[in-house]
Amino acid sequence: MEKQLEDIKAIREMMEKSSKFLSLSGLAGITAGITAIVGASFAYFYLLRYPGATDFNRFQEMIILLADAMLVLIISIGFALYFSWKKAKKKKLKFINKATLSTIYNLGIPLLTGGIFSLILLFRGNVEIIASNTLLFYGLGLVNASKYTFEEIHYLGITEIILGIAAAIFLYHGIIFWTIGFGVCHIVYGAIMYKKYDLK
Amino acid sequence: MANIISNLNKAFDSRIRLGIMSVLMVNDSVDFNTLKELLELTDGNLASHIKALESLEYIQSSKQFIGRKPNTQYAITDEGRRSFQEHLNALEQLIR
Repeated sequence: MEKQLEDIKAIREMMEKSSKFLSLSGLAGITAGITAIVGASFAYFYLLRYPGATDFNRFQEMIILLADAMLVLIISIGFALYFSWKKAKKKKLKFINKATLSTIYNLGIPLLTGGIFSLILLFRGNVEIIASNTLLFYGLGLVNASKYTFEEIHYLGITEIILGIAAAIFLYHGIIFWTIGFGVCHIVYGAIMYKKYDLK
Repeated sequence: MANIISNLNKAFDSRIRLGIMSVLMVNDSVDFNTLKELLELTDGNLASHIKALESLEYIQSSKQFIGRKPNTQYAITDEGRRSFQEHLNALEQLIR
């Protein structure tokens, strides 16, 4: 009886370990969330709250907004890689395996598409819809990649999609939904995953 | 009870073979080194268990070259998948 239970446990563990990206750290989510909130606050209080109140012209404002978004993205990815690499070392998992690459690939396609599409919208002057657009593509990317990693990522993706639709309906409050989606949701899901998987 | 126990497959009695089969159930194909790292085994140890599973025709190998290095990929056969599934069902019935 004991042996059979142990056998089933071993089978399940080996199936997960060999086919899923398990090094993804909850701390990556938490830091990404904090970075997003700081970035969104800067954009809101400095540029979006009183349009035209800065000394910059509209094109320069666009560049600042883009630089802000890029900085958030780079810092988030940097922390995500760092914490996941640390977790892989701690749990003696291989950081780069088939599942890691599948996760990155399946998240990457919708993310890159959404990123390019957002740039086009930005330079065409459709700034209002960008918050919704980034949430939607990011959510679709997460759902797409979730079969190669933790199941929570699937629900995070669904949450982002719902927020993206809401941001399109309430077009002029896009930044609020963006902050909830990229800030609050990342922190909440990151904390849940950190408690569930990382502390063990 | 005796009937269920007889459904357990002796070939999967060893934890290592169980591990190899588990990995191959959820991956299309896996190379030797990846298996070795996943199961934390030495070359010789892994090779002997692979040989046993291959002779039962539960897994199959295919050799290819990556550059100049030979690379052996392993995959589960239909027979292997069926046998492992039966073994899993028997395990589950036993702990019920």
